Amino acid sequence: MEKWIAALAAIAATTVACAEPSVDDIVNKANEAAYYTGDDGRAEVEMTITDGKGGTRTRKFTILRKDTEGGNQKFYVYFKEPADLYKQVFLVWKETADGKDDSRWMWLPALNLKRSIAPGDKRTSFVGSDFVYEDVSGRNLKEDEHELVESTDTQYVVKNTPKKPGDVEFSYYTVRIDKETFLPRKAEYYDKNGKLYRIVEATRVETIQGFPTVTESVVKDLNTGGSTVNAFSNVQYDIGLDENIFTERFLRRPPREVTK
Amino acid sequence: MKRLRMTSFSIRFPWIIVALALGTTLFFGAQFPKVRFDNDPENMLAHNEPIRVVHNAVKERFSLYDFVIVGIVNEADPDGIFNVQTLGRIDALTRELLSLHCNADGLPEVVRAGAPFAPDLRPASAWKRALAKVFGNDVNRLFDGKGASAIIGPEIISPGVVDNIKQADHGQLAIEYLMEQPPATREEALAIRADAMNNPLYKGTLVAEDGKAIALYIPIKAKTYSYNVANLVEKLTSDWPAEDQVFITGQPVAQDTFGVEMLVQMATSAPLAGLAIFLLLLLFFRRISLIVAPMLVAIISVVSTMGLLIGLGYDVHIMSSMIAIFLMPISVADSVHILSEFFDSYHKFRDKAQTIRHVIGHLFMPMLYTSLTTIAGFASLATTPIPPVRVFGLHVAFGVALAWVLTMTFVPAYIMLFVRTRALEGVCRVQEQESCETRPSRLDGLLRWLGRFSYMYWKLIVSATLLVVAVSLYGIGRIQVNDNPVKWFAQSHRIRVADRVLNDHFGGTYTAYLTLRPAQAAAPTCAERLAAMRMAAPKRFGEALPQATARFLGLLDEVERKLHTLGRADEERCFTDLVAQAEALDHEASGAWNALGDAIVYLDPEGLTYARLETAVAEAGDAAVRSIFAGRMAAFRNMEGSELQEKALGIVDGYASLSFADFLYDMRAELEAPAFKRPEVLAYLASLQDYLHGVDVIGKTSSAVDALKKANYELNYEEGAPAARNEAFYAIPPTPSAVAQVFTQLEGMKKKDSLFHLVTRSYDEANLWVQLKSGDNVDMQEVVADVQAWMEAHPAPQDLKAEWAGLTYLNVVWQKKMVAGMFSSLLSSFAVVLVMMMVLFRSPLFGILAMLPLSVTILFIYGLIGLVGKDYDMPVAVLSSLTLGLSVDFAIHFLERARELAKKHGNWREAIVHMFKEPAMAISRNAIIISIGFTPLLFAPLVPYKTVGLFLAAIMAVSWIATLFILAALITGLQKWLFKKTDPADSP
Repeated sequence: MEKWIAALAAIAATTVACAEPSVDDIVNKANEAAYYTGDDGRAEVEMTITDGKGGTRTRKFTILRKDTEGGNQKFYVYFKEPADLYKQVFLVWKETADGKDDSRWMWLPALNLKRSIAPGDKRTSFVGSDFVYEDVSGRNLKEDEHELVESTDTQYVVKNTPKKPGDVEFSYYTVRIDKETFLPRKAEYYDKNGKLYRIVEATRVETIQGFPTVTESVVKDLNTGGSTVNAFSNVQYDIGLDENIFTERFLRRPPREVTK
Repeated sequence: MKRLRMTSFSIRFPWIIVALALGTTLFFGAQFPKVRFDNDPENMLAHNEPIRVVHNAVKERFSLYDFVIVGIVNEADPDGIFNVQTLGRIDALTRELLSLHCNADGLPEVVRAGAPFAPDLRPASAWKRALAKVFGNDVNRLFDGKGASAIIGPEIISPGVVDNIKQADHGQLAIEYLMEQPPATREEALAIRADAMNNPLYKGTLVAEDGKAIALYIPIKAKTYSYNVANLVEKLTSDWPAEDQVFITGQPVAQDTFGVEMLVQMATSAPLAGLAIFLLLLLFFRRISLIVAPMLVAIISVVSTMGLLIGLGYDVHIMSSMIAIFLMPISVADSVHILSEFFDSYHKFRDKAQTIRHVIGHLFMPMLYTSLTTIAGFASLATTPIPPVRVFGLHVAFGVALAWVLTMTFVPAYIMLFVRTRALEGVCRVQEQESCETRPSRLDGLLRWLGRFSYMYWKLIVSATLLVVAVSLYGIGRIQVNDNPVKWFAQSHRIRVADRVLNDHFGGTYTAYLTLRPAQAAAPTCAERLAAMRMAAPKRFGEALPQATARFLGLLDEVERKLHTLGRADEERCFTDLVAQAEALDHEASGAWNALGDAIVYLDPEGLTYARLETAVAEAGDAAVRSIFAGRMAAFRNMEGSELQEKALGIVDGYASLSFADFLYDMRAELEAPAFKRPEVLAYLASLQDYLHGVDVIGKTSSAVDALKKANYELNYEEGAPAARNEAFYAIPPTPSAVAQVFTQLEGMKKKDSLFHLVTRSYDEANLWVQLKSGDNVDMQEVVADVQAWMEAHPAPQDLKAEWAGLTYLNVVWQKKMVAGMFSSLLSSFAVVLVMMMVLFRSPLFGILAMLPLSVTILFIYGLIGLVGKDYDMPVAVLSSLTLGLSVDFAIHFLERARELAKKHGNWREAIVHMFKEPAMAISRNAIIISIGFTPLLFAPLVPYKTVGLFLAAIMAVSWIATLFILAALITGLQKWLFKKTDPADSP
């Protein structure tokens, strides 16, 4: 009798395990859902940076994205506010292939200056906010080891440990991924002493053109008490963006897609 | 007699008194375990003191922290500090400090070479370990209440964790840490050196200009961690080779270390002083049983006073740690008078009780008054505005009062109980009464000679005194009020050494912050904005687009009218209302050109020819624009690809770049720009810095302008361009928008928010970090005065309010309060004591006379300070009250006995002979005991204790001489007025 129970339990366990996709599947799907919706996209972003003392700064920008071959992507970020950053542009070509670095340019209109930025650390602050460049464009899946540590009714919890710990300021981070939409809902970063210090959370999700889309995300820096909220509006997918837009030529003369 | 009531009771029921004394001591002693220490000189100022409020607000606004400065110096290597090994060690140390955490055993642990490492932080000597235990100095206290590291990791300043902006390969701009990786080769090490020297924020701060030293700034959550953090660094670097010397300094470390060492001093100096006094008493009285009494009085007074302080919940502060040292001589002095007299008159009565009654009988009044004056002197400190000084003054006053009560009760009780009659019998058993009373000794002889001299040459003495007073007054005029907590350590102390070495290599280890912000926040009103735009628009557009400009001005008028009728001026409206109209205007003026430009810009440059370009623009814009374009393109028809495209876009831009909408944004940025995004205000800050660099004591200043110029230079740098062209960009960008765009790059560096130590996030307040090479208050004061004078002579483009903060400045403020407070408390206690003297002697003349020796003493001591150039600092200031309290005692005893003896002998001439026997003897013994008793303080490693020891000795010696010489001489000169003629026969 006992043997039967043990056998049944074993079968049950296998069944559950089988129903669960592999961790690689999960992170691939999550990456797809978070950063590769449609072939291209456009969104207006209102970024509110709150420092640890309660002061806030607001930035408004329009972001264009186009997926190219091999999971590579191009981004065009066009600032509208504050007035002193009006028309400032960031252009990013994200490269996912091994050994290839991203390319980054910026346009500073008041200095009449176009500058290419060396592919350095992607974990530097994005325009002084608590978001880092990697949060905006997505962290390359190949940089971490992934491990499914928990599976709740609605979410997978994946632990990501960097392969090169010296390159990043965290020791690992966990991501809670929605089982239905595969959207990452909450990422928690732990420092080298194992202390939670940073949380990135999708606080609002809407379905746009059939795609579940994060329309508000918040990052909190537990060390400084600062936080940044990105509120997305006018999100559009598959608008047929011309790849030409993502070139240096459009830094000085912004495309209609962002000015209108 | 009423005055004897207390003493009589003690003689009758000595056990009750002893039991009471024991009970009191036990009660107050029981408070000791509750003790808490406060090492922070900042607490010399009340918490709500305006400057502390400002200081803390500035720290909060700019996220500034107190830091431990760790200087690493390498003079041996030809490349100085920039060699592969040393930089590697510095990087490893930084990582270890960053990894500080509490391990499972609750002990500090770091990660060393990938493995946990828990250094033994305890002091090497068992004595120091024991002391640390007693005083609750836990060297492992490196974590806050939540168990987080006391070190604020993200804010550490070290080559491996500070930003650098530089040129990378292929004309790219790199934003990275100054030392991304510890160097592997000499070339890499020297590249780091070059980067550091090229960054104005790091040269002179992080790296020494001579390339031989690097300073790490380790921010800590509270100053009280600094001793432990310094200790941790010492332990972590203990295995470093000798050529990499490690020096630790900074005001917090100095203050915290002083606190820790002060407790050690308290535990060693006070008992040593007690021992010295004991030995001297033994020398004078030769009866251990007798001299135990004054020692007990001192111990009970000190224990009770400290117990009271602790019991009342006060922290033991730098000031209160000196209570024992101040109280010891005062409490001993009272009982020495009794003992001296008891010893000398026992043979008359040969009965302890009778002798005591006799002694107390005629010492009661002088002793009451000497105690009251001392109490007044110390209690007057309660009028100072410095909380620890108030606490100190009142507690010493309490201790003096207690010592008096004990002298009146406990000493008699003790004599009754514990001094065997036979021991006293021996004193004069075989001798004649006369010789017993006047046992000749060297001191006796000297005193007798003194008495004769004072009588015969009184005019000479008075003249000499006047001369001394004159010289002293000159000396006082030269007194320099100055203090520096780092100088509280002896020259050879490691903190002083570190201070010298690091200030030699760097811009200065003393920190002050000068904050500047507009006096009033003035956001321009809508009308002002419209007026400014009306001024600026014709300048930008008038020539090229006269018609459109006229229409734009018309739009401005319309908005103004609308606002007028609406009756309110919403600043947003005057901008937003205009944007759509300006865009329409743009469309009319340059819409066709823009359409043309759009048609060109979207073209794929790949294989682009003029023919294809022509086709693409065939429908764009209007015919007129197309024909101008075709004409302008005539010369470039042979071009291809992106070259052709760029040329075409260039032509279009020439016509379409004028935009009224852009103008609105520009004007908005310009008009709304906070002070420190305005080029002219930033330039003002830069010129203030230029001025400050010329001030001697300032080694370096850092501001947001330094970061801005450096970033602007690197952003605009063009490889291969003439150096002059690149150098021209080492400047403040020309417009608020340009400034903002450069600042935004700095906001997004690797080490986020480091810019905001120098400017607020709203850019309406700037913080100038001033590094001084000296922490002397005089130097800081001079800098403050210099800045004020410069700002008055050079008005800012916008009215700016300057405010100082930082520990170095804070010291100046509390010192000012200290000096003024001490002076007024000295004056008030002088007045109180003068009145007391007049009442005691029931004679204004005697009252004034009593004040003379102490006045001369105070003048002389402070004159001496001025003449030898010793700074008037905290301990010197406190000593003024001690001088007053102690030196008036001698005068009281002297005058009281002089009057008594003059009455007895009928004239001063005869009385003075007796004056210089027993009364002068008691005074001299007291003076010697206190002077010599405090010599152990001279060997203390902390300067304030040395100062106290030296000055106590000097005060005693001078007031002793002043009393015996000057009073005797003056009485001789004034005897006609002082003593009414009495018939000696009347006296018994």
